[in-house]
Amino acid sequence: MIRSDLAAKLAGRTTFGADLDRPGMLWAALVLSPVAHGRIRRVDLSKVRKAPGVVVAITAPDVEKLLPKGSGDPERPVFPTREVLYRHQPIAAIAARTLSEARAAALLAEVDIDPLPIVDDIETVFPEWPEPSKKPNSAVVAHVHARHGDLEAAFREAEFVHSETYRTAGVHQVALETHACLAEVEGAIWRVTTSTQSPFSVREDLSSQLGLPESAVVVEGSWVGGGFGGKTSALLEPFALLLAAAAGAPVRLALSYREEFLLGRTTLPCVVRIESSVAKGRVTGRRVRMLLDCGSTMPSRDFATGYAITFLLGPYNVDTFEVEGYGLRTNKPPFGPHRAPLIPQLTFVIDSHMDSIARRLSVDPIAFRRAHVWHEGDSTALGQRIGPSGIDSALERAEKTVLRWRGNAPREHGFGIGVGYWSTGVSAGGEARLRLTPQELVIEQGEREIGSGSVVRGLVAVAERSLGLPASAIRVAYSDTASAPFDSGVFGSRTVGALGQAVQKASEELVRELEARTGTKGSLRLEFDGRSIRAVASGLRRPIAELLTPEELNEGGLKAHGKFYGPPMKFDESRVVAGSFYPVADVVGAVHLAEVSVDRETGAVKVHRYAAFHDVGVALDMAMVRAQVEGGVVMGLGTALTEESLWSSEGSLRNPGLLDYRLPRLNDVPPIEVYPVEGFPGAGPFGAKGVGEPPIIPVPAAVANAVADATGARVFELPLSPERVARALKLL
Amino acid sequence: MPFSLSTPKDPAEAFRLLVAGRPGETALLAGGTALLRDLDEGQNHATHLISLRKLPWNRHAWKGEALEIGSTEPLRTLENDPLVRARLPGLHQAIEAVGSVALRHRATLGGNLGRASPASDLIPVLLALEALVNLRSPRGQRVVDIEQFIISSRQTAREPDELIESVSIPRALPSAYVWQRVRPSNDISQVGVAVALGPPPGRWRVALGGVSPRPVRLPEAEEALVSRRPSEAEVELAAQAAARHAPFVTDRRATEGYRRRLVTTLVRRAVRSTAEHRARRAGPKGGR
Repeated sequence: MIRSDLAAKLAGRTTFGADLDRPGMLWAALVLSPVAHGRIRRVDLSKVRKAPGVVVAITAPDVEKLLPKGSGDPERPVFPTREVLYRHQPIAAIAARTLSEARAAALLAEVDIDPLPIVDDIETVFPEWPEPSKKPNSAVVAHVHARHGDLEAAFREAEFVHSETYRTAGVHQVALETHACLAEVEGAIWRVTTSTQSPFSVREDLSSQLGLPESAVVVEGSWVGGGFGGKTSALLEPFALLLAAAAGAPVRLALSYREEFLLGRTTLPCVVRIESSVAKGRVTGRRVRMLLDCGSTMPSRDFATGYAITFLLGPYNVDTFEVEGYGLRTNKPPFGPHRAPLIPQLTFVIDSHMDSIARRLSVDPIAFRRAHVWHEGDSTALGQRIGPSGIDSALERAEKTVLRWRGNAPREHGFGIGVGYWSTGVSAGGEARLRLTPQELVIEQGEREIGSGSVVRGLVAVAERSLGLPASAIRVAYSDTASAPFDSGVFGSRTVGALGQAVQKASEELVRELEARTGTKGSLRLEFDGRSIRAVASGLRRPIAELLTPEELNEGGLKAHGKFYGPPMKFDESRVVAGSFYPVADVVGAVHLAEVSVDRETGAVKVHRYAAFHDVGVALDMAMVRAQVEGGVVMGLGTALTEESLWSSEGSLRNPGLLDYRLPRLNDVPPIEVYPVEGFPGAGPFGAKGVGEPPIIPVPAAVANAVADATGARVFELPLSPERVARALKLL
Repeated sequence: MPFSLSTPKDPAEAFRLLVAGRPGETALLAGGTALLRDLDEGQNHATHLISLRKLPWNRHAWKGEALEIGSTEPLRTLENDPLVRARLPGLHQAIEAVGSVALRHRATLGGNLGRASPASDLIPVLLALEALVNLRSPRGQRVVDIEQFIISSRQTAREPDELIESVSIPRALPSAYVWQRVRPSNDISQVGVAVALGPPPGRWRVALGGVSPRPVRLPEAEEALVSRRPSEAEVELAAQAAARHAPFVTDRRATEGYRRRLVTTLVRRAVRSTAEHRARRAGPKGGR
């Protein structure tokens, strides 16, 4: 199956956010804060306004004049009024006739800020670490705490308690396309076309941030040149809309690549203390403490801390535990989601730790994991029941592959396993409308294709299976938030699992209606001969044209509406001591295997072979599954080995570009073998499980464990740069 | 930022533009692989670029065992010359270390020298090979030893009215260039080590990149190497001398301590590779 978006993309005809254009359009630029923390004394735009080509320039006091209600959300002002909280925070915006005029004018802004002390390091600002906080700490913006069982007894009675501290680095999404949007304000309608993973989330953000009713905000998604979590909420849209309102003309705002690094909401550093009590070859109790850098502000800080922390217990049965996490405010841009936010990092922690315990016990690391791993019917840490789970089956297959690979690899090579899981976001709802015409089936929905194929291919595959139609008869339609059915957006690997169920339900409704019209029951399918669609059942074979009413033929076909809103989920609240925790929805597991060699004199790690075993439920399109897994592994190798945001003590990002922010290059990527594990159905249509995020999750753990296997030395910090490995090898 | 672009077709026109331009506002464009990025990121504020690509300096020529490399010859063309690989293995390894294949189709030796980055992969091997830089100006021509040409980070002996015409490498020599990076492909080297052997026979030259403020020769390491096929002890002494004397600093790519540790390994590997290459070339009977 060839993706329907491919021809236009290969020919360069696709309109991405950065390609948006309108007659009379102005170009925007942002004035960015020169310091990471400070009190604003003065923002003077008079020179900016006189600069060649400048049409409007706005800063905090201008915002209220432009908004119908005079103000938006006081918690999230568009521009800071008194205090800047991170370096490069936008403090003013400019629209000019050309991009170069806008950017040149931005340099003329006179900004007077009294610098204040900055917080850049989470361990420094939390003096009790690794003990819990003893007194109120203004840097703590989230605190989560849960426990179950008698942990003190488990630790007391253990043969040993294995204690380790791990640290992880901030990583960027690095979508090829930067954030970009085009804003138009006409009458009461504030309209923005934007490169987003979720038009409806952007609408909600704009509505609250600008104090506008949702009906006054219209968001249209453009084609998206990669999201990876970085385009799930509003970022540039408020600036562009306010400029458009001020100028009375369309305004386009797109970040340069450098700005994308400086302003992007990304994963930030984290430190974890993890301790496990061990008796009779089993983990009997576990305590984890986590400090998470939340950056300057973050609406979802509770979620980041409370959702992530239970992953530190792994997909393993440990009924006696205590987890405690702190989200800390620092003078960095706000923390933001990145493909399975923070979970590759936390999986590196828990699965390095499991591997380390197995080695201390001198037992096979895979067997040790299999003795603890979740099976169907087991419970999560917060007491939710696990559905059909293929993790153990994946482990079994990885075990056999390790044996085979060891047999034909040089003796100095190391082999490592990473075991990860993800909870796909099938609790977030969505709706889809189907229109069946005599010639085609149209899927009307509110998402945009971000490149993964989950919309152009995933939703189509669901309709194909539901109706019997080939993909060539199915078209996905996109529209703005004023006319598309609601959907939560492309995140959490939920598109096929959640919106796919809406498509499935609408398909079933279509079939029921056609069965009623033809007097058939239970076996009706649709067929396509390249020109027209027929309904087929036993003793029936009729063109759709004959089954539709004249009104339907005139008004776009037979329509069906499918809604999917996940059932409410509960967990055992009695285990929660403090803060917000979140239920897991649909557990999806993956086991990865890495074969590495390590240069014992320099610390350089080379990955030679890689295999990924994925619990996919049912693979609706194996080629797409393979592509997602390969892409996720490559991205994970970056997190594992080379990608790292470097911050100066003045709060500046020191590597805002691809020169020193090192993505994996294809030359450095090993052959990747992808194995689906089927037979453990998930919550999605036909038992499908999400596969967007799971492939990145086990990678850093697999590589780190392979390095430990090759050298006997464990690296406790991501990424595993040559220098960090050299330190672990005691070369310096 | 917008800029104007001139593309002179001969050196005389280039000099006219160069003399007419104001310092800070005019920049020379060779391959552009570094300059365009600097302009894009606001590191360079030039408003007028003089492209050197139409000048007749995009060629290289052998004169016996000597090689003259035009300053605007794309690195990829040099890389594809089998004689470069056979006669100057260190230079070939250094060229292969620069960026990616696509980048080497644009990047030039002149551009790399003109920028004089402390992390240059090419300058160490030119130091080890004792290359000469041929400069030209309306006043005439002059030849400057590479050692004198590179003054500091982004600072060279080129006068404002001069252009780099070519680089001469006086003789083919057994040589090697080895490096270490965070990412193997298309990254900046944390440390680069170039060595060359002779003349006279048994005289080694050792040069380093990834040091501050400019790539350097390391006489202390050179003096430790006294034979054509150095003993383990000699190599070890040279490696230790390099670690002791190299002007390493800590920056965002590596700590000073890691660089000192790395350089011992890289000196060892470069010397061994050169000695073994030489032994292979000399055939089964051993040294000449």
